[in-house]
Amino acid sequence: MSHSFRFLDDIATADLAFDASGDSLQELFHGATCAVIEAMADPSTVGSTWRKPVERTEEDPAELLFDWLSDLVYWKDADGVVFSTFKLTITCGDDGSWHLKGELCGESVNGLVQVLRNDVKGITKHMYQVSQEDMRWNARVVVDV
Amino acid sequence: MKLHTEMRVNRITDEVWEIPISEKSGMLVPARIYATPTILQSMDAGVFEQVTNVACLPGIRRYALCMPDGHWGYGFPIGGVAAFDVRTGIISPGGVGYDVNCGMRLIRTNLTQKDVQPLLERLMTELFRRVPAGVGASGSVRLGRSSFEDVMVRGARWCIENGYGWPQDLEAMEERGCIGGADPSKVSDRAISRGINQLGTLGSGNHYLEVQVVASDRVFDQETASAWGITGHDQIVVMVHCGSRGFGHQVASDYLKVFEKAMRRYGISVKDQQLACAPFASVEGQDYFSAMNCAANTAFANRQVITHQIREAFAAVFGRSAEELGMELVYDVTHNIAKVERYPEGELVVHRKGSTRALGPGSPELPPRYRTTGQPVICGGSMETGSYLLAGTAGAVRDTFASTMHGSGRTMSRAQAKKAIRGEQVQKQMKQRGILVKAVSMSGLAEEAGFAYKDISEVVETVDRAGITKKVAELRPIGNIKG
Repeated sequence: MSHSFRFLDDIATADLAFDASGDSLQELFHGATCAVIEAMADPSTVGSTWRKPVERTEEDPAELLFDWLSDLVYWKDADGVVFSTFKLTITCGDDGSWHLKGELCGESVNGLVQVLRNDVKGITKHMYQVSQEDMRWNARVVVDV
Repeated sequence: MKLHTEMRVNRITDEVWEIPISEKSGMLVPARIYATPTILQSMDAGVFEQVTNVACLPGIRRYALCMPDGHWGYGFPIGGVAAFDVRTGIISPGGVGYDVNCGMRLIRTNLTQKDVQPLLERLMTELFRRVPAGVGASGSVRLGRSSFEDVMVRGARWCIENGYGWPQDLEAMEERGCIGGADPSKVSDRAISRGINQLGTLGSGNHYLEVQVVASDRVFDQETASAWGITGHDQIVVMVHCGSRGFGHQVASDYLKVFEKAMRRYGISVKDQQLACAPFASVEGQDYFSAMNCAANTAFANRQVITHQIREAFAAVFGRSAEELGMELVYDVTHNIAKVERYPEGELVVHRKGSTRALGPGSPELPPRYRTTGQPVICGGSMETGSYLLAGTAGAVRDTFASTMHGSGRTMSRAQAKKAIRGEQVQKQMKQRGILVKAVSMSGLAEEAGFAYKDISEVVETVDRAGITKKVAELRPIGNIKG
């Protein structure tokens, strides 16, 4: 199982864009989540004193990813935290809907010990796409900073 | 002339260019771009594509416009202006921007560079301490939900009533810092949770607080400058650039989802998903307008609380009250908003996204203080170059729905800028040039390096020569705080 992400130079002049991929939908979610977390702060400098169980269901995997990444932005502002690690499982229900369950870990923002990066304001639908090609899931995401 | 588009772009004047409706299927009006030939050639392909997409939206009147600081945005280009009939037209979060009422504020002082330079390090440290910036920063104002709803409705007025400013500040703000029609019941719990602790915070990205100098030889219109308390003689002023933070962004995101569904119901199709919209007169359109006004008022309040903190910092460092230091507000303008305004075509919903209102002399909407000069327009450059104070003109009211530029506009992506330079290098180079920078994030600082932006002087010259604003003064940075 593998996932990856890379920030893009030529897209979103004023903001951030990344491509993420994985050899399963779950791995794609891992790659995209890592990208958003990295955009906010260096996760290796962030502790795990804040923990949040997470659960979401959507019919469309693209909408599930969009809402999940938006959740990261929401918790960053609502609880004043940045993130270090996470656990996620993605399953497909009998009715065809996609279910995300896991745990998000981080700690309160503290610029004295954490390497902070961008105050991500939101996930956008600009050029947003989730696709599956040759058994690999891919996503392009533009993040408003 | 080589442009980043295959579309035909006709010269109207040396500063105005037009894309006729024949260039894209569905265009209802021509698109007009304000630019010199040099700026036009540097504009990215997104500007041409997006401004012509906007020209296809229902109910648009006269032109879809783009200002010379225009660049690619979400749906509308940054620098975009479009006006829609209130009865037959639409409202679109993509035409307002995610950061609702992102705007600029300028505060004057009686201090000169000679007074400030010896204490600059201490002043910037004090400002950095008092004005929270960067990822996840929360403000010093602690509010319950009911008080936050008051902020949504009363905007900067709430701040004055609660000790965060002076009564006369309100006269120096667009809409006097409070837009009517804000209805907190149209705002989601999620938006409230994101915004409730952010009052008085700067944010990150291109948002900043800057201590600037006005040299006498950079005052271009002495009479207007003087009327606004700008004296030159190396006078110190303070500029603030920020908006409604996560709150405004959540409002925009929430209603984009609502509008995606509503468009199907109203039979509206758009060229770009980020142009999701609803008829202005529809329930969805009115709900967004009410929620957007809540975010707009919160942004006025945000800049007002920051102003209070700036005054406190100056008073602490210089040992005199903010009143004694003459720290009056010059003006506060929004550059991400939709407002109902009256033009010869009737009542229109004017969308300004990365564009500033620029009412000319005699405009009845202006307080008496600005009625002879026209409205102050505050334009921020990159943190390494100057910023500008301009004045609105009758030409803007006639030609551009009373709109003009808002800043310099990026030419390089954040990722490219970070590859080109490190934040520490930017900080060092700026110090060598006499600009002291305090930044929460060094990578964020690298992203904002001056070379990533257009030359603001050429952008300002364009709007000056086009007659949609006139130059009043240039403001040179000596201290900058970034998130």
